[in-house]
Formats: sequence, C-alpha cells, structure tokens
Amino acid sequence: MIRTLASRFLGYAILIFFALVFLYPFVIQIANSFKTEANAADNPLSPIPSPFVTDSLVRIFEGTGFPTWLGNSVLVTVVVTIGRVAFASMAGYALSRLRFPGRRALFAGLLALMAVPPVVLLIPKFLVLNQLGMYNSYAGLIVPLLADATGIFVMKQFFDSVPVSVEEAARIDGAGSFRIFWSVVLPMAKPALITLTILSFTGSWNEFPHTLVSVQDPGLFTLPRGLADLVSGSLGAGTQYPLKLGAALLATIPVAIIFVIFQRYFVRDASAGADKG
Amino acid sequence: MRSKLCGATLAAVLIATSACGSGFDDNGSGTSQSSSGPADLKIMIASSGDAETKAVRDATAQWATSSGNKAEVIPAQDIVQQLGQALAGSTPPDVFYVDAARFADYASVGALEPYAQDMQGVDAFLPNLRQSFTYEGKVYCVPKDTSTLALQINTDLWTKAGLTDADIPTTWDQLRSTSEKIKAKGITPLAIGDTRDRIGAFLVQAGGYWVSADGKQATGDTPPNVEALTYVQSLLKDGLAKYPKALDAGWAGEAFGKGKAAMAIEGNWIKGALSADFPTIKYTVKELPAGPKGKGTLSFTQCWGVAAKSKFKQQAVAFVQAMTTADQQLSFSKSFGVMPSRQDAQATYQQQNPDDAAFVAGAQYAQGPVNAPKMDSVLADLDAGLQGLQNGRPATVLQRFDKNAKTALGG
Amino acid sequence: MFSRKGIRGNEQPAGWLFVAPAVLILGLFMLLPILMALWVSLTRWNGQGSPFTGDVPFAGLDNYTRLFTDEGLARQDFMTSIRNNAYYVFFVVPIQTVLALGLALIVNNRLLKGKGFFRTAFYFPSVTSSVAISVVFLFMFANGGAINAILAVFGIEGPQWFSDPRGLLHIVLSKFGVSSPSPLVDHGVFGLSWWDWLSGPSVAMCAIISLVVWTTSGTFMVMFLAALQNVPVQLEEAGRIDGANRWQLLRHVILPQLRPTTFLVVTLGLIGTWQVFDQIYVMSQGNPAKTTLTPAFLSYRTAFRDFDYGSGAAISFVLFLIIVLLTLLQRRITRERDS
Repeated sequence: MIRTLASRFLGYAILIFFALVFLYPFVIQIANSFKTEANAADNPLSPIPSPFVTDSLVRIFEGTGFPTWLGNSVLVTVVVTIGRVAFASMAGYALSRLRFPGRRALFAGLLALMAVPPVVLLIPKFLVLNQLGMYNSYAGLIVPLLADATGIFVMKQFFDSVPVSVEEAARIDGAGSFRIFWSVVLPMAKPALITLTILSFTGSWNEFPHTLVSVQDPGLFTLPRGLADLVSGSLGAGTQYPLKLGAALLATIPVAIIFVIFQRYFVRDASAGADKG
Repeated sequence: MRSKLCGATLAAVLIATSACGSGFDDNGSGTSQSSSGPADLKIMIASSGDAETKAVRDATAQWATSSGNKAEVIPAQDIVQQLGQALAGSTPPDVFYVDAARFADYASVGALEPYAQDMQGVDAFLPNLRQSFTYEGKVYCVPKDTSTLALQINTDLWTKAGLTDADIPTTWDQLRSTSEKIKAKGITPLAIGDTRDRIGAFLVQAGGYWVSADGKQATGDTPPNVEALTYVQSLLKDGLAKYPKALDAGWAGEAFGKGKAAMAIEGNWIKGALSADFPTIKYTVKELPAGPKGKGTLSFTQCWGVAAKSKFKQQAVAFVQAMTTADQQLSFSKSFGVMPSRQDAQATYQQQNPDDAAFVAGAQYAQGPVNAPKMDSVLADLDAGLQGLQNGRPATVLQRFDKNAKTALGG
Repeated sequence: MFSRKGIRGNEQPAGWLFVAPAVLILGLFMLLPILMALWVSLTRWNGQGSPFTGDVPFAGLDNYTRLFTDEGLARQDFMTSIRNNAYYVFFVVPIQTVLALGLALIVNNRLLKGKGFFRTAFYFPSVTSSVAISVVFLFMFANGGAINAILAVFGIEGPQWFSDPRGLLHIVLSKFGVSSPSPLVDHGVFGLSWWDWLSGPSVAMCAIISLVVWTTSGTFMVMFLAALQNVPVQLEEAGRIDGANRWQLLRHVILPQLRPTTFLVVTLGLIGTWQVFDQIYVMSQGNPAKTTLTPAFLSYRTAFRDFDYGSGAAISFVLFLIIVLLTLLQRRITRERDS
C-alpha cells in the first residue's frame, strides 16, 4: 500500500514537473509581454509583471506592421483552409470511389509527393512563382498552398473505411456523382472534414517557409513572416523582448483557442499518424 | 498504358502552362525603356533606424510633390535577401541602397544601371568613395554618405571607474591598461562587433588588412594581421572586450546604450541610434587608439543604386540627384548622423558637428571595404572565424580566409 | 454485374473533374518546381533574368561535385552543415523518443488522475507556430534570460547560449586538457579536420535542440499513448501473475508491444530532424561561427543571399536524397509491420 502511494506520489511529481517544463515558457511569454523592457531583462523568470504595462501591445499595433500581417494571415488561412478541405475531399473521394483511368498512377504519385520534404521546395517554389509571374502577390502566397498531398491521403483513407452501400442506393435512384458527393458523402464525412479543417487551419496559420520565398513586400507578410523579420531585425531594432513576445503571443492565441475547443480531433490526428505511418 | 498516357498529357499541360508564364523578363537589357511622365518609384532602403527611415521618407515625399511623381520608400529588414529575390523576380525596386561591400556583386551581374558615369557633377563626390562604386572602369552609382569607426566612451561609467580624460586610450597599450582599470570596477570595458567590419580596424592599425591595396590579392596571413588578431583575442580572453551577443545586445551600440559597456567601437550611425533609443546616455567620441603602425579605422559607404530594369530610370536618376545635393546631405546628417559624401559639404558639416571631430578625422586615414564580386560568402566565413576568435588561433582564421579568398578572387 | 457497370459507366469525367484542382495545384507547385530546380542545379544562374534561356551557363554536375570533391568553401560549408545537422539528429531523436515514451507511460498509468490535462499540456507546444515559439526560446536562452537564471539558482554560471561557438565535445575534452591535438587537426576528410568533425553540437545548437525536443515530444507521446491503449490488458495481468516486477513488466511485456510505434517515432524523427529550418532562420541564421548552419538553411542562404541558385538547388537535392532514403526506410518498416 505504501509502495503504491509512494509511486503514485512520484508519478504526480514527474507529471507536474514536466507540465511546468511544457507550460511555463508560455507563462513567461505572457508575463513578459506586459513588462517594461528593463523589468523583462532583470526578472525574466517572474510570472508577475511589475509594473504591469501595455506599452508593448500598443507598439505592436502602432509601431509595427502587425495589423497588416494579421489581416493577411486571416485571409490566407481562410482561403487556404476552404480550398484544402474542398479539393482534398473531392480528390480523396475520387481516388477512393470513382473508377477512372489513371487513378492508380495518381495515387502512386500522391504517395511520392507526400515524401517530398517542404524545405527542399524553397528554391523550386520561388522559381515557379517567378516563371508564372505570381511572385510577390496574394496569388503566389495562397494558390500553392491550396492543395496538400497529406490532406488528400487522409480523406482517401477515410472514404476507404466507409461502406459503399449508402452511395450505391443513391446511385440506383439515379443520382449523379456530384449529387451523391454533395448530399450523401460529405454529410457522412463530417469527422474527417473537421480533422482536415483543423489541420489546414493550423498548417496555414503557422506556415513560414512558403511566405519566405513567395513574397517580399512587407504589405504581403503574414504573421510568421512578419514576426521572423521583427526578430532577426536590422541594426538598431534593439532587443525589445516585450514587444516580440507580445507579437508572438498574439500570433499563438488563435491556434490555442482552436486547440482547446477541438482537442480530441488533434489527438485523433496524431494517433492516426501512428496508424497510417 | 492509359495511365502512362494520362501522365504524359499532364506533364505536357504543365510545361505549356509554364511556357506561357510571363514572370521572367527574358532579357536583361533593352526591354525596359525609360519612360517619361509621372513615375511611380519604389525606393528600398536598409535603414539604420527609425530616424533614417523617417528622414528619407520625408525627403522622398517632398521630391515627389515637387516633381509630380509618386515615390514609396520601403525599409528592408534584410536588404540582401529582399533585393536578391526582387532581382531574380525581375521586379526590383527602382532605387535602392547598395553597400560598398556588395556593390561588385550587383554590378557584375548587370543589376545596376551605371548612371553615375555620365551624371553631371559626379566629380563633387569624394574620390575614394567614388572608387568604391567603380566596376571595370565605370562609376555605377553615387555615394549616399559615408561614415567611419571611432571610439565611444560612456562618461558616466568613466567617472564611476575613477577615470579622467587623461585615461582616454590613444594606443593599444593604453587601451589595455585602461580596460583593466574599468574591469577592476566590475564594468565591461569594451563592446565590439564580432565582424570584419569592426575588428578589421585593428588590422589597419597594425599596418595590415584582409586584402591588398588594389583589392586583388588576399593578404590575410601576414605578421601585422596576426599581431592585430592576437591583440584582439587577448582583450576577449581577459574579458576586457566582449562581443555584443555576450552582452545580450544585437550590436555594440545597443550594449553601449544600455550601459553594459564603458566603450564601444562603432560608426557615425551610433549617434542617431543612441539619441533615439537611449536619449539620456552621456558619451564622447574619440579617435580609435593607434596601433604599432599608427592610427587606423574603417570607412563605410552606400550608394543610391538604380536598377538596370527600372521602368523609370530617368526619374530615378533625378530622384538620386535630389537626394544627394549638398543641402540634402547635410539635412540627412542632422537627422541620422552620417557624414556627407560630397566634397563641397564637408566644411559646413565640420562646422555644424564639432562633436564629430573623431569621425571626420578618421576619414583621412580610413580603409574602405573589400570590394570584389563573389567575396560575400568568403567574408561571411571570415566573420564566422572571428566569432570563434576567443578560442581559435588567429593564424588559422587568416589562413582559411586566404585560401577561400584566393579561389574567389582568382576565379 | 451488368447493371453495376451501367451505373458506373459515367464515372470517368467525374473522376477527372474531382481530382483536377488538386492535381493541377500539386503538379504546378510541387512537381513542376522540382523539375525546374533540377535544371537550375545544373546551371550557373545568378538570379538575373530567366534561368530557362540559352544565355544561362550550363554547369553540368559542377554544383554537385563542388559539394563533395572540390577543395573549397562550398564543400567546407556543406560538410559543416552536414556535421551540425548530424549532431542535431543524434541528440534530438533519442531524447525526444525516450521523453515521449516516458511521458506516455506515466500519463497512461491507471492510478493517476488528470490524464486529459497532462496530455493537453504536453501536446500543446507542438501545435503552436515554430516562429512564435522560437521567439520565446530566444528570450529564455538570452544570457540574462530565464534559463541562466534557473541555472544560477543551482550555482551554475550559464553559458552565453547564442554566441558560444564551442562544441560540446570540445568543451568536455578541454576539461581533460585536450585541445586541438595536432594529429586530429592536421588531417581530415571532406575539407574538415577530424577535430572539427568531432566538435559535438555547439552550445548554441544545444539551445535549438532543447527547443525542438520540447515542441515535438508531445506529438510522439500521443502516438505512444494510442499504442499503449492497444496493449492487451491480459498480457500485463499475465505478467503480473507470473510475479514480474514493474521494470520486468515494462521490459518484457510492454516495450515489445510498442516496438512498431517506437520504430515509427524514430524514423519520423529522423525524417523531420533533417528538415530543420524555421528555428535556425529565426534564432541563429547559422551563427555563431556556422555551428548552427544546416543543409536546409545553407541551401536557402546560398541561393537567396549569395545569388548562387545552382549551388543552392544542388544542396536541396542532396538533402532531398537523404530524406527520401529515410522515408523509404520508414515505409518499409511500416509495411513489414502491417504484414
């Protein structure tokens, strides 16, 4: 009995220690966003700002391009999420259900594309955007992100796991492929669609390397790009940690909210990763 | 079989689409005429701080109104990268700052319009600065301004360390002995940037430099240079000098402004930065201490580059002319502390800025930057070596530079 | 059968229409760019005008051979980046795997409450933006920052994290009086001396390693948790009846069951760690003294800062090859597991 108690205590101690390790950086981030620069430099660990100031938040909105970046991020995220969900569910459905020539080849190609690491696409993407005259435009920022191989794969796997009987019934009733997709298949696919939406949302909200090679006009920066420029900033920008931490905090909040609300879908996604490999 | 066919069709479609692309301007020269009429100029600057951004914006707005053109100033966070992408994308800004150290790279790939060659009044600019922007016998662009390195001394910390004007170091030995006194009081004596652009000054003071006078030979591993780096290394090892990052600062001026070091080695731009970010700091500026071969410092300059692919070259040159009049240069000097690049503005500048005597004096014996194409990665590698100077061997750093530079300069 | 074919007969146009948008986008922005970059990697394009005209000097395989056989800065930088990334992989992958497994085992313990909370806490960092989180860690690892403040509590004087280029192994060896032994310094392979190869990750790289372990462990913990859920309870109970203690139970019953997941976590870790870019870009840009330079960042820098697009693309493709090999390995393992 004592042994169980002791081990239970030890278990909690370890968990709480690691919970601190994993969460305290966020506490530091929040606290220091509201500190003065001197206070942040002197007491970086303290969770309580003294004095409590909102100067850095004011400077974020008035002294940096933050409002523009935020607007761009929202635009990119909304369009990309809609696009990815639409295109991935259509393509996933077709690859899973519809018989058409080239289907196998397409699926093999898809698997190959999934293995392409995004960082090796930096120079290639820049080249193609230039060639198509899309460099440094909203189109260049958004269009290449509209479809992703992983999303299609997830949807195909989902449709593979759903029995075909319902669709068959609708088909016998004479409904066309689009009707079936829209009014029979999509409503069934709700859980997968939610997962995909969340994946796309966080993916495009946090996307950084693509913005690095698709735009260079500060008016087209998204939050991660703007933030990165703020940090690796030019001579004389100073360290200004409260401001940088505050900006990073604001960029994290939307994802945090989504995470808290849809937590189980996140977890499912990661576990699905374990299954699918 | 059919799937293969489909794949081929797909590839064909893709190639066709790409062939229709219009992004690249297919040939560098001749495609963009100088059109007259109202222009819409984009001006990219690598600003030293808010003061410079504002001053250039104001001057630009004034020029735009009076000349009936539109002009927009884009302050770049990382001008090398932003400009590089813009040039590759054939959408460069019409006018941009070109650092003397990168100038040859841009000129050698044909990105710059050699407008200064035929510009009226180009002789008014200081000859050694003009030389910095000359590539294969052509003057490409006119220098925006110039600055030199000098020694900044925090007078409060100086007094706190029990020092007087008599302790202001004028030689390497004095720099060491004074620094030891400051360190004894628990103050970091010197903040110095960890790059060739700062440490190189010691080489000049020892009678050496990274490259030969004509800029065509690497002269890294020579006794004067080894002596200079050994001296700097000893300062670092004994904690008499520290790199900015070791002081939690982005650059030496910030460490100095925060009172983390009693001295700093920076250029004219530190004035503007200090008055903007640390207005209460009290300091004086002195010439850099002399080394075994006398006084030495480095000079820096940037020019107003005009893109070879600009649609509004004529207006861009007019804009540059407006930005480089003697009056305008003096006004920029006032706003962010750089020195005019025109000979006819020097006298007035010295009159107006008696505190800058050390910077102005430095201009007399300053060494310009390494000016050759393809050297950037070599110099970046040198900087990496200098970052590790404290634990490295000076000769190794210099030999490595020589080896790399020879390949770049020879090829 | 007849009727079925009749119903399905009209699927061909629909099928193509359904996949068309995705195929077009993936083709245009993944497949085509790769082909274009392959071409550029064979040229000396300097970033002026189009790379797809006859004016661009053709370099053949020069950009590749320079990375491996030609003496010079290009090879030196590339090999340095490979060394850095190898050390990074060598530390990140084992640490994150063990940490993720350990956390999963504890969280999964039936005697403990608050499972949901802890799982959330450990998982949250991995969904945040890499750029935003890098900012936070940059602040924590500042010389007067939180990490050094904690170390000071234990009487340790923390290092100057992002300005200390010394390798960990060099530091340890110097404690034993070994520094720059000439047999190692004077000889080497691929343009770096043995001594340079054996530096270990620099202090600066250690800060980045800790950031990455911190962000990714949560994801892998969730994978382990899912796998633990599938360990049959009977197995555990059988073991207990046999009188196995907790350690033996873990070693002989649970870990063998987790083997496939562990393999997966390790290979996913291997693939991911060779792609480190965002953190390097934000936190160190390859500094100090190139000790945080990685192939991904080097390829970016070579192309966009040095205007040497050919070399940059060549580095990309070498990196691509490394990652593809690892991916194939992972897929093979997964397939073996499934069959």
